[in-house]
Amino acid sequence: MVSVQSIANTPSSLTPNDLPWIIDHNEERCTLCGRCAAVCPVGTLKLTYMRKRMPKLVLASSERGSSYKTFVGIRQSTEISKRCIGCGTCSMVCPNEAIRPLPNQARDRFRFLNTQQGEPVKRGGRRNEPGPNLLDRIIFDRISMLTDPALDAGRHEFSCNTLLGRVLPPEEYVRRKMAGEWIPPVREIFPFVIGSMSFGALSPNMWLGLLQGVAYCNEVLGIPVVMATGEGGCPPWVLRSPFLKYIILQIASGYFGWDEIIRAIPEMQCDPAAIEIKYGQGAKPGDGGLLMWFKVSKIIARLRGVPEGVDLPSPPVHQTLYSIEESVMKMIQTMSMAWNFRVPVYPKISGSTSAKAVLNNLVRNPYAGALLIDGIDGGTGAAYHISMDATGHPIASNVRECYLDLCAQGKQNEIPIFAAGGVGKNGNVTRNGMALIMLGASGVHMGKYMMQAAAGCLGSEADRCNVCNIGLCPKGITSQNPKLYRRLDPDLVAQRVVDTFMAIRTEVKKIMAPLGRSQSLPIGMSDALGIDDKAVAERLNIRYVC
Amino acid sequence: MSKANVVKGLDKEGQRISSKNFEELVQKAFAKSRKLKLETYGQHNVGGRLNGAGKPVEIEIDGPCGQRLGCMGLPGTTITCNGPASDDVGYLNIGAEITVKGDATNGVCNATAEGKVYIGGSIGARGLTMTKWNPEHKRPELWVLGSVGDTFAEFNCGGIAVVCGIEPKNPQNVLGYRPCVGMVGGWVYYRGKTDGSYAKNSVKAVLPDDEQWAWLMERLPNFLRKIGRPRLLKKLSKRDEWMMLMAIPPQDRALMFSGPMPMAEFKQKIWNRGFGGGDPIRDLAPGLDRSPIGMIVSGDLRRRKPFWANRDKAAPCAFYCPVHIPTIDRLKLMREGKEQEAYAMLMEYTPLPASICGHICPNLCMQNCSRQVVDEKIDVQMLGRAARDAAAPKPAKSLGKKVAIIGGGPAGMNAAWQLAKAGVEAHIFERDQQLGGKLAQVIPWERLPKAIWDKEISRFLAMPGIKVNLGVAMTKEKFAELKKGYDHVIVAVGTHQPRTIPFPGHERVLPALDFLKGAKSSKPPKIGKQVVIIGAGNVGCDVACEAYRLGAEQVTLVDIQKPLAFGKEKAAAEALGAKFQWPVQTKEVTAEGLVDAAGQLIPAQTVIISIGDVPALKFLPDTVEVVTVGGAAWVKCDATGRTSDPKVSAIGDVERPGLATNALGAGKNAAEALIAAFKGEEYKPFSKTVVAQCDLTHAHYEPQRPGATAAEEAERCMSCGTCRDCHLCETICPTQAISRETLPDGTYRYVSDDDKCIACGFCADTCPCGIWMMRPF
Repeated sequence: MVSVQSIANTPSSLTPNDLPWIIDHNEERCTLCGRCAAVCPVGTLKLTYMRKRMPKLVLASSERGSSYKTFVGIRQSTEISKRCIGCGTCSMVCPNEAIRPLPNQARDRFRFLNTQQGEPVKRGGRRNEPGPNLLDRIIFDRISMLTDPALDAGRHEFSCNTLLGRVLPPEEYVRRKMAGEWIPPVREIFPFVIGSMSFGALSPNMWLGLLQGVAYCNEVLGIPVVMATGEGGCPPWVLRSPFLKYIILQIASGYFGWDEIIRAIPEMQCDPAAIEIKYGQGAKPGDGGLLMWFKVSKIIARLRGVPEGVDLPSPPVHQTLYSIEESVMKMIQTMSMAWNFRVPVYPKISGSTSAKAVLNNLVRNPYAGALLIDGIDGGTGAAYHISMDATGHPIASNVRECYLDLCAQGKQNEIPIFAAGGVGKNGNVTRNGMALIMLGASGVHMGKYMMQAAAGCLGSEADRCNVCNIGLCPKGITSQNPKLYRRLDPDLVAQRVVDTFMAIRTEVKKIMAPLGRSQSLPIGMSDALGIDDKAVAERLNIRYVC
Repeated sequence: MSKANVVKGLDKEGQRISSKNFEELVQKAFAKSRKLKLETYGQHNVGGRLNGAGKPVEIEIDGPCGQRLGCMGLPGTTITCNGPASDDVGYLNIGAEITVKGDATNGVCNATAEGKVYIGGSIGARGLTMTKWNPEHKRPELWVLGSVGDTFAEFNCGGIAVVCGIEPKNPQNVLGYRPCVGMVGGWVYYRGKTDGSYAKNSVKAVLPDDEQWAWLMERLPNFLRKIGRPRLLKKLSKRDEWMMLMAIPPQDRALMFSGPMPMAEFKQKIWNRGFGGGDPIRDLAPGLDRSPIGMIVSGDLRRRKPFWANRDKAAPCAFYCPVHIPTIDRLKLMREGKEQEAYAMLMEYTPLPASICGHICPNLCMQNCSRQVVDEKIDVQMLGRAARDAAAPKPAKSLGKKVAIIGGGPAGMNAAWQLAKAGVEAHIFERDQQLGGKLAQVIPWERLPKAIWDKEISRFLAMPGIKVNLGVAMTKEKFAELKKGYDHVIVAVGTHQPRTIPFPGHERVLPALDFLKGAKSSKPPKIGKQVVIIGAGNVGCDVACEAYRLGAEQVTLVDIQKPLAFGKEKAAAEALGAKFQWPVQTKEVTAEGLVDAAGQLIPAQTVIISIGDVPALKFLPDTVEVVTVGGAAWVKCDATGRTSDPKVSAIGDVERPGLATNALGAGKNAAEALIAAFKGEEYKPFSKTVVAQCDLTHAHYEPQRPGATAAEEAERCMSCGTCRDCHLCETICPTQAISRETLPDGTYRYVSDDDKCIACGFCADTCPCGIWMMRPF
C-alpha cells in the first residue's frame, strides 16, 4: 500500500537535481558516523530514512501482498534556504570518502527561484566567472638577458619594493629640503598589499593571523609587506603596538572604529603605513558595505562602537559628500592632519569610466598620496549577485588609461596608482600583479587570494561556498562565532602569509630578471608585455604576439 | 730539470702572435719537450690540453699572461706564472696545478673540476664559481694569499678554497660581497674580516675541526713555498684566526625552516611582546579563548545540541481539534492496556464523544492525521463511538459557586460539564423541551442515531452539579435575575433566528431551521412533491434528505454561487436524487414555485430557505457589547468567552458560527477560565504548537490496512510529539551519547551526554515521533 497523500507542489519546489550542488553519498561506504551532518555549515545534510516496497509478484503463487524494507542515506535538503553550498566540508571530515558535493552539470533551476520573500540573492566571496581572466593571458615577452647584463633571480639582489605616497619632482624636493618645507610622506612597501578586509568581515583569528604573518615578513624577512584594515577599525592594543606601521587604516562611509583610532592616536608607538579613504569597492560599486547582524558579536560591537547584533550598513556614499572634489579634499586634509602630515593618505575608488577624473583631481591635490582603483573582479564579504557579477569596470584598461594620462602630464612618477580586483583570482598572483604593474600600477592589493592562500578559503568562481556574508564560514575565516573561527589557527595563517610572500618575492624576481631589471620595479614597462589578442593589445597599448 | 724550450709571444718584428698561432707553436714545442717556457704577450688559453701521457709537464709563464691561463689543464701539468694573471685562470681545469705569483682578476677556477690553483696575491670577482667534483677524482683547490672579490664561490659544487687574508684588497672584507650563493658542496677556509653577507641558506659558518685544521696545516707550507712566501707559515698557523664556510647538505636544508625563524619563536619573542606579552584582543574580550579546535567537537563547542522535547508540541489530532482532545494520549493508554484510563481521559474533554466525535464532527483530527502520509488516517470516528458507554468522571469537591448557562446546546453542555466536574454548580436554562440545541432539534436521526444521543444525554444528566431547566424563554428581566443570583452567566443560545430575503412571496418560504425542527418532531410538516431549497450548503443538504424522507419526489437546491455543500451531507442528498442548480437568483416565489431573475420558473409546491441562522439576543443587557456582521448582531468576546460585562460570557454560535466541536471547545475554554478565576489561579490556555510533519520519520512505519478496532488503531498511531520509548535514538547515535534514564516516579527520559554528542542530529533525523530537536545554544 502506498499513501495517496498528495505531495505539495509550489513554484519553488525543487528536486536535488535542480540545485547548484548535488550531494553524492555512497551508502555502501558510509559508516553513519554523523560527522558530515555535524559539520555541514548550512545544515543541509540529514540522515534520511527511506522505505522500499517489495511486492510479492509470483504468478504461480497465491501468496499476495508486499513487504517493506527501510534503508538510510545522507541526503540534502531541497529547501532553498538550506541548499548545499558545495563547500565540501563533509568530504573533509568523512573518514571513508563516502560523501562529496558535485557541481550540477546541468544548468540548475535554483537560480530562478533564489528570490524568496522578494530578496534578490546575496553572497560573499567573488565574482562567479570561472576561467582565465585577461591578466592571466598577458605574457612577459621581452627577454633582455641576451642584450643587457644578465640577471639571475636566484643569485642577484633585487629591489622589488614600490613607493606609496606623493613623490616630489627632484628639483621641487631639493628646493623644499633646502627651504625646510614640508615633504610629503612616502613609504617603501612591497608592491603586493593585503587588501582591505575588516576586523568584522574577517574573524579575529584570521585578521590577527594575517597581521602576525605581515609582521613576520617585515621583522624577520625584511619584506615590507603592509595590509589594509578595511572599515571597522583596529583592536585598541594593535593600534598601540609597534605593528601599526604595517597597517593601512581605512575610513569609509560608515566611520566604524574611528572613535577607537582617534582615542589611540596620542598613545601610538608609531604611525600607520597609510590611510585609505574608501569611496568605492570593485566588487560592488555604488553599493555600500554591510556587516550583517549575526556577525556583530560582542567584540565587533565593542570595536566599532555599536550595539551587539545589529546590522551595520556603510552607505554607498559618504553622508556629507557634496562632490568628489570637495570630499577628497576635505577627507585627505583631515586624515593627513591627524598624524601631522606624516602619513600618506589616498582614496580607494571602484574601477570606473570616470576614474581619470578622480585621478586628475588628485594630481592637483598636494596632499593626495596615491589612488587605489578596485576592479570588477574584486571580492567582498557581502554583496548582491547583481552588483558582484555585473557591476563595475575591469581593472586592466582602467589602470592603463589612468597611467597613460599621468604620462601625458609627465606626472607618472609622482602619484602612484594602485590596482586591485581579481589579482590572483586563478592562483597566478604574481603574474597578475606584475602585469598590472607593467601596465602602470605601482602596486596591487589582493584580498581573496590571501584568504585562499593563507587560510584555505573554499570559495571558487564556480559559486562554491560563498557564505562569507552569513557568518557560517566552514574554515572560520569570515565568522564571528568562536565555535567556527577557532577552527582557524592564527599561527598557521601567519605561516602561510610568510610562505606566500616569500614565494611572491621569488616570482617577482623571476619576472624582473629576464627584463634586465633588478633595482626598480618595472612600473609601466609595457614594452615587455604581450597578449595574443589584437583588440586587447590595441586597447592596452601593448604588443600583440602570437 | 732539463732546459726548457722557449716559445715567444712576439714575432721577429716584435708583433704579438695571435692566440691561435701561439697555440700551434706551443704544441710544436711540446712535441719535443715536456718542459716549456712561454714568454707570453697576452695570449689566451695558454697551458692547457698538454698531454704528458703520464709524464710530468712543466710550463713556466713569463710576460703578460692572457685570459684563461691553464684552461682545460690536464693532470700532470704544472703551470707557474711568474707575474699576475688575467681572467678565468684554471677555466675548465681538470687536473693541472697552476701557480700565479701575483694577483689574478675575475673568474678564477670557474668550472674547475680538479687541480689546484695557487694565487700569490688576491683575486677578483666570481672566483671558484660553478666548480665540479667527481668523487672518482680529487676535489679542486683554490689557494689565495690575499682576498677574493664579490660573489665568490657561487654554485660551488665541490671545490675547496683557502683565503689567507694577507695584504687583502679590502681589509674589511676578505670574502667580498655575498659569497657562496647557491653553493652546494665543498668548503671555504678564510682568515680575516668579512661583512657576513654569505648566503645563509647555502652555507654555514663554522670553526675548523681537528681534521679540517690538520688538512690545512698539512698543505699550507706547500702553498707558501709555491708562491715564494714560506715565512708566512707562522703567521698563518694561528688556529683561532681561521673560520670556515661549509656547504649545507640538501638533506639538512630540507629540515631547515624556509625562513630564518620558526613562527613559534617569532610569536613568543616579537609578536606577543608587541602587545605587552599577551593576546592582542584580551582587552576587548577578557578571557576569550581563541585556541584552535577541530572540525568535530562536542560539549559547548557544538553549534547546536539535541533536546529531548517530549510532549513540547501537540500532535495534529490534538492541535486541530477545537476541544484539543489528545487522541494520541488515548491511543497510547490503549497500547499500554489502560483502556479505562483512556475513556476517563476522553470524558475529561467532552460529554458527547460518541455523538460528536463519532458522528457529527467533520473530524479535523483525522483530516490532519500524520498517519495518512503512510497509509490511512486513524479512524477517530470509530474511537468516538466506542466511548458511548464510558463512565462519567467523578466531580471534584464543591467550590461553592454556581453558574447560569443560557442555552443547552453543545457549547452550554460542555461548559456545564466542565464546571460540574470541577465542583461548580451549572444551571442550564433551555428554551426548548430538550437538551442538545440544534444537534437534537435539526440534525436528522440518520446522521446522529437517537440511541447514542439518548445514552449520552442521560450520562450528562446524571452528572451531579448539573441542573437543567427546560422550556425557559429568556427575557431582559429574567437575565438580570440570573446575573444577580449566580456567580456568572454564560450565554450559549446559538443561532435560532433564520435569515430570510424579502423578495416577493417570501412569506411563502419556509425557513430551514423551522423545517428541520419540525421534521424531527412528532408532527412533521406537510410538503409538496416538488421542493426547492434556496441555499445549497450542508444544512440545505440535510433539508433535502429530510424532504425526501417526508415524501418529496424532486428536490432542487439552488444557490447564487457554486454550492458550498461538501462531504457526507452532500453525498447523502445526491444519493437521494437532489439536484443542484446555480447560479440562481430568486426574483420571487409564487404558488407555482421559484422564479429566477431571468423569469424561469422552477416548479415547487414547497420552497425552503437555508441561508443560515443568526442569534436572537433581545434578552441581553446593554452591558454586553455586540458586533454587527452581515446584518446580524453577535456577542463580542475574547478567546475564553469573556464579554464586556465581567459577569457574562458568551460561547458557541452566538459569538461566531462554527462546528458543534467549536461549540464544545468554546464551552470548555470558558468553563476552565471561570474555574481558574474561582480558584484564584492563572488560566492556562492550550498553547502548544503542532508537530511539524518533517520532524516525524514516516519511513519507520509500514503501510497497513486500517484497524477494525480501537486497539488496532492504537497500534497504528504514530505518537506524534510523544516519545514511544522505541530506543531508536539510542541505537543510531554514532557516539553512544544517548541513554534512557528511569526516573524515581517510574517515568523515563532520554538524555544526551554533552561530552559525547557531536551534534550530528541523527537522533532528530531518526526519531519517529519528532521528539529530539536540534537547537542552537
